[in-house]
Amino acid sequence: MSTSIVATIVRKDLRELRADRFFLLLTVLSVVFYPLIFWVLPSTVDETLRVGVVQRDVGPLLEGVEDTDGFAVTEFADEAALADALVSGQGDLVAGLVFPDDFLSAAASQQPSQVSLLVTAAVPPEVESALSTLVSELALVALGEPAPTELLADPVVLGEDRVGDQVALREQLRPLMAFFVLMTEMFALATLVAAEVQSRTVTAVLVTPATRTDFLAAKGLVGTGLAFLEASVVMALIGGFAVGAPILALALLLGAALVTGIGMVAGAFGRDFMTVLFISILMMVPLMVPAFAALFPGTTASWVQALPSYGFVQTVVEVSTQGAGWAEVAPDLLMLLGWTVVAFAAGVVVLGRRVATL
Amino acid sequence: MSLTRAGDVLLKDLRLGPRSPIFLWALALPLVFTFLISAVFGDLFAPPARLAVVDEGSSAITEALEDDAGIDVTVLTDTEEMRAAVQGHDYDAGLLLPAGVDEALQSGERVPLQFYVSGASLASTRLVLGVTTLAEVRQVAGQVPPVEVQVVTVGDEDWVPVEDRLLPLIVMYAVVIAGVFLPASSLVEEREKRTLDAVLITPVRMSEVLLGKAALGVVLAVLMGWVTLAINRAFAGQALGMTVFLLLGGIMMAELGLVLGCWAKDANTLFTAIKGGALLIIAPVLFTLFPGLPQGVARVFPTYYFLQPIYEMAVTGSGFGDHLVEVVVCLAICLALLPAVVAMGKRLERRSALAL
Repeated sequence: MSTSIVATIVRKDLRELRADRFFLLLTVLSVVFYPLIFWVLPSTVDETLRVGVVQRDVGPLLEGVEDTDGFAVTEFADEAALADALVSGQGDLVAGLVFPDDFLSAAASQQPSQVSLLVTAAVPPEVESALSTLVSELALVALGEPAPTELLADPVVLGEDRVGDQVALREQLRPLMAFFVLMTEMFALATLVAAEVQSRTVTAVLVTPATRTDFLAAKGLVGTGLAFLEASVVMALIGGFAVGAPILALALLLGAALVTGIGMVAGAFGRDFMTVLFISILMMVPLMVPAFAALFPGTTASWVQALPSYGFVQTVVEVSTQGAGWAEVAPDLLMLLGWTVVAFAAGVVVLGRRVATL
Repeated sequence: MSLTRAGDVLLKDLRLGPRSPIFLWALALPLVFTFLISAVFGDLFAPPARLAVVDEGSSAITEALEDDAGIDVTVLTDTEEMRAAVQGHDYDAGLLLPAGVDEALQSGERVPLQFYVSGASLASTRLVLGVTTLAEVRQVAGQVPPVEVQVVTVGDEDWVPVEDRLLPLIVMYAVVIAGVFLPASSLVEEREKRTLDAVLITPVRMSEVLLGKAALGVVLAVLMGWVTLAINRAFAGQALGMTVFLLLGGIMMAELGLVLGCWAKDANTLFTAIKGGALLIIAPVLFTLFPGLPQGVARVFPTYYFLQPIYEMAVTGSGFGDHLVEVVVCLAICLALLPAVVAMGKRLERRSALAL
């Protein structure tokens, strides 16, 4: 393998890609669009139920609940002011409670009283139900009826308690965005390879001193380099390198090599733009599953964990949202490395055989 | 006119179409809009409060929790399995009900119940689940609160969430970009590259070119409209009725696209015209977004007649039968646009002949 020949083929490939306005547009759009979406999305998670209350005589009763994370009370002078605040969205209130003046005394003497729960049509049923229950609880406390169990005061928190430090949706989207960029470049490489195979320019290249190895090395370099560069730019623009930059850079490099191998396979089989598109999408769909799965809460299914892109996604998630270090992500990186070697080798073998048959 | 030749034009455009940014725009924009709107205004990826229960007896608490609105309750058999699932945030919280809990509660005993919460669950979700569970425990214990809670809805009872009011905007983009932009830009591009002249010296006639291009616009408009409604879970049991309006909207927009494509001398003129006339297309969406505007004015705009029925069927639960007037108006508009398409097609044909 000659480095100068590989460099020449790389330059030719880059020139061809630059001349393709379609991929130029896709590349520019990716770099602009993903960061734009990222910065438009909310940066925090609101986990507080804000409730307006009229009649602060119930204050001592509410104090216990107010101490609970996720609940905040705002006092209002009268029902009309509370209703206005709810309708206008002032203070992000979800509901209002209007207690009668004699609520405490009535409850203590077991006299039935009526509390109004003011809601807008937007309030979800579980919140409406929980607030109704809260009022009943306050009445029972006023009555001196102790709860038959202590649920709220002494819950067992399993896992790292993230109250007040929840992962915002945009942070969860980071792996998806990075992977989408890698996918775009995989598609670009597949189209470039397919065009060379179909127009047989590869045979023209191979009658020069360039060998099949030079050709394959150049394709691997172009694909990996471009995918890595673009994904790194997007990651940098969405603040992805703020924590664990070396780990993320390695994950991006391995991810770029992984999609390059797949791109070479798609390109070798593609007859024209449509078949490349079809084969690429066929390969992209399973690869995107782990990135989408990371958006949903809960444990990832074992079949998803077996997919080639899982190691990449998991590394990005663990590093960027949980601040994981080399030791924590080592199994994911090893798995990614294994899949990358398999995909790259498959790409080289399949494309090599295709070129040999021309 | 030969339908086979029109089909050939359609297939050619379908083959070459994906390389056009407009084609990709038509495919991607409704999906991107849906995602953004759901992410910013809605509850995308945020499931309802999820509670796992391990019931070692057959407690009435479990049954009552399962009947609670807005809470997803899953009954598991093993405590360790529940702890692992709660820790992995498969559930927001977990409740262990020992055997004989109901009897103990009813006899007035204080029962220590184990309540696990996931570290990744929201504080508000923990509160909702905790309070709801406590209420059911009290219920079983026979503690009746001396209070009645009266729920009063304030503001507009027919209030529609912003993400729902944005539905016509997303559908409009799906139908308009595919319906108007695709045929129009394709015609202009073919004129600019002079491939239209080449096509017209074959047996293919202008009417067949226009039909082929319109068909691609209509098919993609209906398809993307369908996908948009599906991912917004907006069919509300009216998929067929909505498809009829998507089809009528797609035809209306494709006719408009053909008129513009035949008229515009180049891409700049086309996009300037579309930008200038965009308000006429978008206007009905503004009336849905801002209910305070005089709603009757929206009826002046043609796109109202396919967007509004789709919106009403999705949000207010109306049926296809409630929108027969809109069907008739849509058909009338489509028929009224037809002579304009024919006239503009002939004009373009004459120009092509002169150019040759």
